[in-house]
Amino acid sequence: MSFSRLLTPRILLDNSGFFPPSSVIAPSLSRQLRCTRTGMGGSRPPVPHRHVALRVLNNVAPEPAVYGGGGGAGAQQVPAAAARRVTLATLRGKHRRGEPISMVTAYDYPSGHCRAVARGATRTFLIGDLPFGSYESSTAQAVDSAVRVMKEGGVDAIKLEGGAPSRISAARAIVEAGIAVMGHIGLTPQSVSALGGFRPQGRTVESAVKVVEAALALQEAGCFAVVLECVPAPVAAAATSALQIPTIGIGAGPFCSGQVLVYHDLLGMFQHPLHAKVTPKFCKQYGNIGDAINRALSEYKQEVETCSFPGPSHTPYRLAATDVDAFLNALQKKGLNVAADAAAAAVENTEKEKNGTPQLNKIYA
Amino acid sequence: MMRQAFRHLARRRLSNVPEWTVYGGPRPQDASSPSAAAARRVTVTTLRGKHRRGEPITVVTAYDYPSAVHVDSAGIDVCLVGDSAAMVVHGHDTTLPISLDVMLEHCRAVARGATRPLLVGDLPFGCYESSSTQAVDSAVRVLKEGGMDAIKLEGGAPSRITAAKAIVEAGIAVMGHVGLTPQAISVLGGFRPQGKTVDSAVKVVETALALQEAGCFSVVLECVPAPVAAAATSALQIPTIGIGAGPFCSGQVLVYHDLLGMMQHPHHAKVTPKFCKQFGNVGHVINKALSEYKQEVETRTFPGPSHTPYKITATDVDGFANALQKMGLNEAADAAAAAAENAEKGGNSPESS
Repeated sequence: MSFSRLLTPRILLDNSGFFPPSSVIAPSLSRQLRCTRTGMGGSRPPVPHRHVALRVLNNVAPEPAVYGGGGGAGAQQVPAAAARRVTLATLRGKHRRGEPISMVTAYDYPSGHCRAVARGATRTFLIGDLPFGSYESSTAQAVDSAVRVMKEGGVDAIKLEGGAPSRISAARAIVEAGIAVMGHIGLTPQSVSALGGFRPQGRTVESAVKVVEAALALQEAGCFAVVLECVPAPVAAAATSALQIPTIGIGAGPFCSGQVLVYHDLLGMFQHPLHAKVTPKFCKQYGNIGDAINRALSEYKQEVETCSFPGPSHTPYRLAATDVDAFLNALQKKGLNVAADAAAAAVENTEKEKNGTPQLNKIYA
Repeated sequence: MMRQAFRHLARRRLSNVPEWTVYGGPRPQDASSPSAAAARRVTVTTLRGKHRRGEPITVVTAYDYPSAVHVDSAGIDVCLVGDSAAMVVHGHDTTLPISLDVMLEHCRAVARGATRPLLVGDLPFGCYESSSTQAVDSAVRVLKEGGMDAIKLEGGAPSRITAAKAIVEAGIAVMGHVGLTPQAISVLGGFRPQGKTVDSAVKVVETALALQEAGCFSVVLECVPAPVAAAATSALQIPTIGIGAGPFCSGQVLVYHDLLGMMQHPHHAKVTPKFCKQFGNVGHVINKALSEYKQEVETRTFPGPSHTPYKITATDVDGFANALQKMGLNEAADAAAAAAENAEKGGNSPESS
């Protein structure tokens, strides 16, 4: 079996089992963990090789495969800038130069997210979220979960939520295990229970100071970046200024080192009026995909119901002319006369279509 | 209905979930309202009626909550959670790698999103072939744990027919699948259309009949010549659902991503199945939207004031700046003050951090 191009000597990817966290992608960060030359993997061309599941977002023509790379359906759509992979070093460089970092979540499928996304996004920096319940009870649990995400998920780094002392210790332990950690403070969705809902944070002095302190503590613990979610812009500005590592904002104003948005929200994936009503107000809709999808599906439904689809151009498979008669005879021998007639009519219909006479395709009930 | 109960249970446990959630989906407030009545769920009985009246049946695959919502909103009759997920969701080359556990995750997500269409869950490769017992167990799991209304399984060999029969006898509606059966790619030697020789064509019709005999409520015909599909459709009393099988079936099915043109990379476009019409160019739209987002972030155009909703009062900003200075973070205090001033001016030219 050809190894995934994600393999480096340090990371074992066995694609059995699955790990369900949602994945987060940073499109313009550089790859750090996936090298083009590996010690034990052998030297590898800078473009994906035979592992046909991967489609690269550069201009290299990949191997033919029917659905290769389909898994990262969202990941595939991330705009291709350069062919070079994104690593922590690139991130640091961008941050130093004051260039904003853009981050998008990938298609959040119910399971096996990380691996599916990893198959689709070959250039971007991949971050896997630690889901609620997989890292809170002890530092050991946190390290174990982070290791699983790396080993089995094929990502480059993990993200965990929270700024409490136990979370900081967990982050430190994970960094010490050699895994890059992105922190996340402000509105931490996994704490919806304690917070009493999806409530923005940092809106009082105390809360604002806590945000800055937690960010600093996470930096101290070794995080390479921190997500600031749903805090007022001045608070985000202060935290960004106080830190040497980049901040990635969402609903936190324009003063962060970068931004992150959820794929479905930014694409306007949900066109149902109710969904539109509750789309987060900090999220700009860059597309109206939901609408496009609805229109396409409605058109499909209509064409099927009027028997317009499939037409001749979408009915590619033929019986050889010589075989048709034999087929009809065989059916008749089995006593399926009506079926034989239907088949004969179908052949005639196809002939007439070919000769330019459009036929009304009947459904044989 | 079990699915409703399952979902009701899930909602109950989350007492802190707000009434309207983005991803929880819209909930009808009044079960007896006209809109609720109009949105009656599709059952095998509904399909039987459509088939009798000669009305074509529409089927589309879905693999997660958003796609299920879309399929439901478009009024599609049947939502199939296909093992094609292995390819279009997980990026494999075939449908073989996906496990039943992963399929069940997909089924559950779809069940949350599609409340009206008939939900059919595919039995993935390896969970039903070794014995009828295994087949029934897997089918039961798809309904119990996956929240589906029916299952689909591939193949027309005698052991498959027996398995289908056992599942029907367990009270589970079964949709058959003959012609090109993707799980048999090993034996078929690739994704090869079937029914192109007399023997093969006759076999398609015979297995379809056998599946009907076993109690299936419908049969998928995949990648067979149109006359063969016409013959099978005519010979059967149950509906046939075609894909790459011409227009003479009782209904049609397509894969969500294919019909939407979800993969916009030129290579993907090249290898989209030739029987599939692209009804949309969604991949292209997605690419444009993401590129625009990237550009706006990199030019610091996004987020502008209209997307920076959370405020801190002026007095609190002062208090905050003071607290920061006490902590020795003077630069941070300045940044906060500047940001607050910037916001007041309604401007959108942030300082580089």
